[in-house]
Amino acid sequence: MLGGGGGVLLLAVVAALVMKPSESREDSPDSRFSVADYRQDASRLTGNSYRLKARVENIESIGNDRLVAVSLPGNPQERLPLLVRSGSAGRVNLTRGDTFLFHVVCRNGKDEQGLDVKGVMVVEKVETE
Amino acid sequence: MNARHIQVLPLICWTLCVQPLSAQGLGNAQPNPAPQPAVQGAAVPRIGQSHTDPESGETPNPQILGMEIPLLDPASDTVSYNGAKFDVGNNALVRARFEKYLQQNPDDSTEAKRYRKKLRSLLKLTQKSARSSREVGSETLLKIGNGLYEMNDYPGDGGVSGSLASAIASAISVQYANRSRSRKNEALQKEIDKLVEKTNMMNNRNTGRGSSSNVIVGKADGGGASNARTNTFAIAHNTKKIATLEATGVKNDADSIAAMELAKINFQSTIVSMLMQRRYDHALIGAHVYRHVFNDGDTTLKLNSESQAAQLFEGGVGLPPTVNTMATIAANMRHEVDQNMEAVANMLAQNKLSDATQSLIQAVAVGEYMQSVATFPVEGRRRIAEFWSLRRRALTTLNARDYGALEEIASKMKALDPDFDDSMLTSYCAGRKAQSDLHLRNAAKALKAGDDATFNEEITKAGTIWPKNPNLEKGRQQLEKLDNQDPVRDEFRTLMARKEYRTIYNEQDKFEVVAVDPELKQQYKDAITLIGTIDGMLAQLEIAAKQDTTMGPCMAYEMLLEHGEKDERYKEDSRYRDALNRFALGAHEFTKALENAKACEERREYGSALSNYYRAQCLYPRSTMAGEGARRVTEIILKAQF
Repeated sequence: MLGGGGGVLLLAVVAALVMKPSESREDSPDSRFSVADYRQDASRLTGNSYRLKARVENIESIGNDRLVAVSLPGNPQERLPLLVRSGSAGRVNLTRGDTFLFHVVCRNGKDEQGLDVKGVMVVEKVETE
Repeated sequence: MNARHIQVLPLICWTLCVQPLSAQGLGNAQPNPAPQPAVQGAAVPRIGQSHTDPESGETPNPQILGMEIPLLDPASDTVSYNGAKFDVGNNALVRARFEKYLQQNPDDSTEAKRYRKKLRSLLKLTQKSARSSREVGSETLLKIGNGLYEMNDYPGDGGVSGSLASAIASAISVQYANRSRSRKNEALQKEIDKLVEKTNMMNNRNTGRGSSSNVIVGKADGGGASNARTNTFAIAHNTKKIATLEATGVKNDADSIAAMELAKINFQSTIVSMLMQRRYDHALIGAHVYRHVFNDGDTTLKLNSESQAAQLFEGGVGLPPTVNTMATIAANMRHEVDQNMEAVANMLAQNKLSDATQSLIQAVAVGEYMQSVATFPVEGRRRIAEFWSLRRRALTTLNARDYGALEEIASKMKALDPDFDDSMLTSYCAGRKAQSDLHLRNAAKALKAGDDATFNEEITKAGTIWPKNPNLEKGRQQLEKLDNQDPVRDEFRTLMARKEYRTIYNEQDKFEVVAVDPELKQQYKDAITLIGTIDGMLAQLEIAAKQDTTMGPCMAYEMLLEHGEKDERYKEDSRYRDALNRFALGAHEFTKALENAKACEERREYGSALSNYYRAQCLYPRSTMAGEGARRVTEIILKAQF
C-alpha cells in the first residue's frame, strides 16, 4: 500500500529507533555497553547515551563535581570513569560499594586552555536500584 | 797473663799458623816494610802499619810480628783482623777447617794411639825432669830426641816432632862446640902463662936482676951486647904472641856467647812456632827441656823489646816473657780445650746444639790437634754438622735477604735445639718483611694517585729490602698495567662513547688502571656502579617475580621502566633491555593497559585513558605509573567543561 519512497522512510525510522540506545526501555540498563570497547576508543561513542547499572568503586572530587569509578556487573576487573556534575545526581547519595542506575552521555569537552577533552562519560541522572 | 790473653791467644796462634813462619821474625825482629803510599788515596792497611778507621774512629788493632792480631769479640763472636771483622762462625777459613773436621771420622787408628801414647810418655818424662832439681843428663835428652824423631814418622805429626828434636840436637851441638872452644881457650891460657914466664926471665937477664940475672942469655964468649939484643927481640916476639893468643881466647869466648844466643833463639823460635801451631804438647816438651839444654838459668825470650810479640807476652802482668810463660800458655790451652770438649759432650746430651756448636768450633780452632778434639765421637759430629749446616744456610739466606726462608730455617734450628734463641732472628725478619710490605702499600697508593715516580721508588725499596717478597709480583703486574695504560685508556674511551658500560664492568680489572686519570676515574666508577646497580636490581626482581607470578612481573616491569625513564643509560644495557622485555611479556595485560592509557592521553581521549589506568591499577594496585596517570587525567576531566 505504501510506495517505494514510503518503504525507504519506514526503514530509516526503524533503523533510527534501533541505533538510539537511550531510546530503549527506560527501566532497564544498557547491556550493549562494553568497558573494553570504551577503553579502546571512546571517541567513537561520542554523543551516545547509556543507562548503566554500576557499582561505585571509588570517588574523586573537586568542589562539588565528582569523578566516580564504577564497575559493571560481571566485570569487576574493569573500571569506568563517570563524571558527576554538581546536582546531576539529584538527591541520590553516591556511596562507595553501592550500585546505582546511571544515565550517561559520552561527550567531548574543553579544558581550561580550551583544548579537547574527548570521550568522557557524563552522568545526567542517577537512580537508586 | 790475664784471662783475656788466654782467651785470645789461641785464636792468634791459630790464625798466625797459616802465615808463613818466616814472616814471624822471632828473636830477630825483622824491620817492618816501609809504609807504601796508599793506592788511589785509599787507606789500605799495610803490613806492620797500624790501622785506624778515620770514619769510625775505631782504635787500631794491636800488631804483632808485622801482622795485625785478630781480636775476638766474645759478644758478637767476631774477630777483627786487618781492619775487617769476621764472624768466627762465618770466616771462610775457620768454616772450611771446621766443616772438614765435622766430616772426618775420629782419629782412633792404631798409629794414632801409638803416637799419642808416645807423646804422653815424653811429656811425662819431660815434666818429671822439669820438676827434678838435678841436671838432666845427655842420655835423657838423647832419649827425648830419639822419641821425637820416632814420632816424626806419624803423618798426623806434621813434622813438628822432628823440628823439636832438631832444635834440641842443634842446641846440644852448639854446647859441644862451646865446650871445645873452652878447652882450646884453656890450652891457650897455659901457653900464654908459659910465654909470660919465659919473657919475664929474659927480661930479668937483660936487667941483671934476681937470681937469674947472672945468667947470660946467648953465647958465653964475649958477645954480651949481642945477647942482650937477642933477648930484647925474643921478649918482643913473646909479647906479641901473648897478645895474639889472648885475642884468640877472647874471640873464642865471643863466638861461644854468640853461638849460645843463636841456639837459644832458634830453640825459642821452635817453641813459639809450636805454640802458634797449637801443638801444645810439643811446646810443653820444648819448654821443659829448654832449661836443661841451656843450663845457664836464663829463660828470657830473646825478643826485641820493640817488637809487638814482646809487648804481647808482657801485656798480661808486665813481666818479661820467658820460656816458662809459653809453657804456662800451652798448659792452659790444653786445659781449656779439654774443658771445652767436656762441655760440648754435656751440651749435646741436653740437646743444646747451638751452644755445643759454638764450643766445638772454639775447641777445634784452638786445639785441633789435641786428643780430646781428634777423638770426638762421630755421632756428636753428625748432630753438630746438621745444626751447623742450618746455621750456614741461615747466613746465606740472610745475605740473600730471603726472610721467608730464613724464618723457616730458624724454626728448624729451634726444633733441633729448643734452647736456641731465635727471637732476634725472627723479629729481625718480621721487621724487614713489614718494612718491605709498607713500601709496597705506599707503592699501591702512589699507583692509585697516578704518581709513577713514587710508585717506582717504593717498589724498588720494597724489593731491595726483601727481594723475594711475594707481594712484589702483584706490584710487577701493576707495573705492566701501567705500561699498557694508554691502549687501555683509549679502549675505555671508545666503550664509554658507545655506552657499552657492561663491557667495562665485565673487564673492570683491566680498566681499573684508567682510574689513575682523574678525568676517566669518575666515568669508570659510574660505569661500574651503574652495571652493579642494574645487576643487583635484576637479581632482586627475578626473585620477586618468581614469588608472585601475577603481580611480580608487573612490579618488575614498572620498576625497570621507571629507572629507564630516570636514567637513559639503563636503556643502553642489553641485560636491562632483555629483562624489561621478559617482564613485559609476563605482565602483558598490565603493560598493554599502561600503553593504551598513554596513547589515549596523547590523543586527548581522557575517558579511555583513565579507564585504562583503572585497568592497570586493577592488575597491579600498587602501580605508581597507573596511580599517577589516573590522578592526572582525573584532574583534567574534573576541570574540563562539557
